[in-house]
Amino acid sequence: MAALSLSYSLVPKPSHNQTQTAISLSRPNLSFLSHSLSHLSITARKQPVVPKATDTEAAFSVTDAEIKSPVLVSEPAEPKREEVFAVVMVGGRQYIVFPGRYIYTQRLKGASVNDKVTLNKVLLVGTKTSAYIGKPIVPNATVEAVVEEQTLDKKVIVFKYKKKKNYRRNIGHRQPITRIRITSITGYQDSPVTTLD
Amino acid sequence: MNKKEVFKLAKGFRGRAKNCIRIARERVEKALQYSYRDRRNKKRDMRSLWIQRINAGTRQHGLNYGNFMHGLMKENIQLNRKVLSEISMHEPYSFKALVDISHNAFPGNKAASAPKKEGLAILV
Repeated sequence: MAALSLSYSLVPKPSHNQTQTAISLSRPNLSFLSHSLSHLSITARKQPVVPKATDTEAAFSVTDAEIKSPVLVSEPAEPKREEVFAVVMVGGRQYIVFPGRYIYTQRLKGASVNDKVTLNKVLLVGTKTSAYIGKPIVPNATVEAVVEEQTLDKKVIVFKYKKKKNYRRNIGHRQPITRIRITSITGYQDSPVTTLD
Repeated sequence: MNKKEVFKLAKGFRGRAKNCIRIARERVEKALQYSYRDRRNKKRDMRSLWIQRINAGTRQHGLNYGNFMHGLMKENIQLNRKVLSEISMHEPYSFKALVDISHNAFPGNKAASAPKKEGLAILV
């Protein structure tokens, strides 16, 4: 994983020519990051794979401004993680993704392990100070990911039964899935932005 | 299914249904039928839950669910209800931005206001 040491600026971004009001942000926004949302699966096209969230990184996820101070006594070894999230569409389903976490998506054919994958259908990007809302997608935003694993899902027993008609069918099913780990969310800075209160 | 598999699936069942094969087999078959049916019902239930959550979130900002979704459809924002409900719970500022966009999609609207507080809520 690349060491993400981007520091956040709490200065609101200047509003673009869309009708957005620039209001200075003073309160932290990303309470998301403390939750493990690695299983919000959204089906997407055959895009590159997105990495999954690691549990260690989820435990570290930043929730307020104090962690970004230069003296990190508690976690000296953890790389600084960007506080940004994105809503991406993969395999026909939408997922909320964070850099450093993994998600399970439908099987991406043609992607082998350790392939880099870029997801283009980004519907929303949120940072601590601003939200980039796409109509329908955020232009030029991409989510980079790495394929970790191409496996089958847990077995589901499909049991069909009709009473008094002697009809019983017992079928097992394992759906092919792919685990991808998100590395970074980029390219959204130029898009029209809603600066948050 | 042979007996071993039946008993494996019958773990946690009540009374003789987890120990005696004749009863366990019936109960396990019923359980598998329910799971088949409920895999389909779960999708309906989850969507209903998401809609309730989005409704609660938008009403805090003075909009209701129907008008909110209408505004989003008008603006061609294609976030689904699952993601919207998660955002309404964990990202309140982003959600407020979405509510504002939806409200401003109809030029006839006045500014959306938070609902009036009644009773003990005034103290909050």
